[in-house]
Amino acid sequence: MTPKSNLLIGVIVVLLVISSYNVDANPADFIQGLPNLGIIMDEVLLVEPDLVPTALLSMFETIQMAFIGTIMGVVIALPLSLLAARNLNSRYVYAPVRALLAAIRTFPSILWAILFVIMVGLGPFAGVLAIIMYTVGFVAKLQYDVIETIDSDPMDAVGSIGVSKWQLIRYVVIPESASHLLGQLLYMFDYNIRQTSILGLVGAGGIGFYIITYIKFFEYGKAAVFMLVVLATVLVVDWASISIRDRYIVKSQHGVGAK
Amino acid sequence: MTQRNHAQSISTKKIIQMSDIWTSYDLGVFALRGVNVSIDRGTNYAIVGQSGSGKSTLLKLINGMMIPNRGTIKVDYTLPDMKEKRFRKMLHTIGYIPQNLGLVKNSTVLENVLLGALPRLGIIQSMLKKFPKDEVAEAKKILGLVGLAGKEGRKAYMLSGGEKRRVAIARALMQKPMILLADEIVSELDSVTAHEIMDLVADAQRRFNLTAIMVHHDMKLALEYANRVAVIQDGQKILEIGVEGDTIVDFQTGDMSTEEIMEMYTGDSKK
Repeated sequence: MTPKSNLLIGVIVVLLVISSYNVDANPADFIQGLPNLGIIMDEVLLVEPDLVPTALLSMFETIQMAFIGTIMGVVIALPLSLLAARNLNSRYVYAPVRALLAAIRTFPSILWAILFVIMVGLGPFAGVLAIIMYTVGFVAKLQYDVIETIDSDPMDAVGSIGVSKWQLIRYVVIPESASHLLGQLLYMFDYNIRQTSILGLVGAGGIGFYIITYIKFFEYGKAAVFMLVVLATVLVVDWASISIRDRYIVKSQHGVGAK
Repeated sequence: MTQRNHAQSISTKKIIQMSDIWTSYDLGVFALRGVNVSIDRGTNYAIVGQSGSGKSTLLKLINGMMIPNRGTIKVDYTLPDMKEKRFRKMLHTIGYIPQNLGLVKNSTVLENVLLGALPRLGIIQSMLKKFPKDEVAEAKKILGLVGLAGKEGRKAYMLSGGEKRRVAIARALMQKPMILLADEIVSELDSVTAHEIMDLVADAQRRFNLTAIMVHHDMKLALEYANRVAVIQDGQKILEIGVEGDTIVDFQTGDMSTEEIMEMYTGDSKK
């Protein structure tokens, strides 16, 4: 350990103590509060099975919101990613597009949801719009990173024939980056289902609306039904996307790697 | 060998003329230093040299991927410059196979070959991936010619090294080329496959009456197929051997004797 790194650790510890004091983060409170968790658990165990159909229905709505948001988001993100790739455009094109995408990404989806609730009113549509915005910012970035790492050989070989830039994009860039796209789509869908589940907290539709309402009225048993449905759905979707990824994506990338 | 006599009888018109070419990648470091090359139409021309000698640069000058710092080049009496409309059009007929072949790995064999027809396609057709029937038929015919009949639907990444090279050749032929440029197309292959690929190029060169300019590592292979072999060392052309009839004519520049140079470039070529 050099004196420099000792100093760095010292500074981090001091900042940790100061910040904890400022935000009232006290480990003793946490331990004191543990019995309260028991109370909640007791309530949660009074699961009300009557609510299961409602929970499933609202989960279905949530999945549909996430589905529209993911697909539309990816559709909008693709042309933007082509414009944001440094190896395809001049600085005057990619710099503003990248700035726009960075700006979109600074907002978490729940803030977008608040904004759209104000714009289009309460309900799932605001949530869908929020998911679209989040997906655009995220997928466009992932995708322009992929485009920038495409092998330059086919670009040179096909480009040297004297084809147009659009032909190059259509016949080299898109085929060479498409295999990553399926993976990103699955990842985003998976992630968006979890996100959409909480958008109801601000009135933007989905299952989160029920969860927050029951919690506000201290009906933990009812809220628990909805939370368990979210948990089960996320597990299933996770499992499904992993198995799809293993089956289609890992295989094709093996092939690409082999010479 | 028959292709030699054939090439001789075609025409003596110069298709490539380079005089006193200097190029540099970085400021002050020259890849080529005062090179003169002149190539007759219909020749099978080989450029031999070690890696870093500047031999790949020579090919990139011909298709305008590089611009010389000094000297003049004419490709079919046209300046290879992207700003020249005539050259941009000519580029459609210059097939270029880079060292790593540049196949689109996730596309099929047929799709890769059809890339050579792209300059002939309208913008709408090409965005919709609608190739005219005759182009598809032509692509299939060329695939038969290079020995890949029945493999149209394979993805490029699944092919063997020899098959990949056949696809790259087919793509270039699809351009209906006037000139075929190939950068070390057989350097990583075993001897048998290397000869198969070279036979294929020689056959295509005769059949379509094109000028083939190929960069090689291996002097023996170059002498076996080319009408004319140039040796590039440290950015300079130190030897040019022409085989006319059965006599080897050499146009040598530099201090080493022809025998010494030949010795040098055949010694390390066994791969």
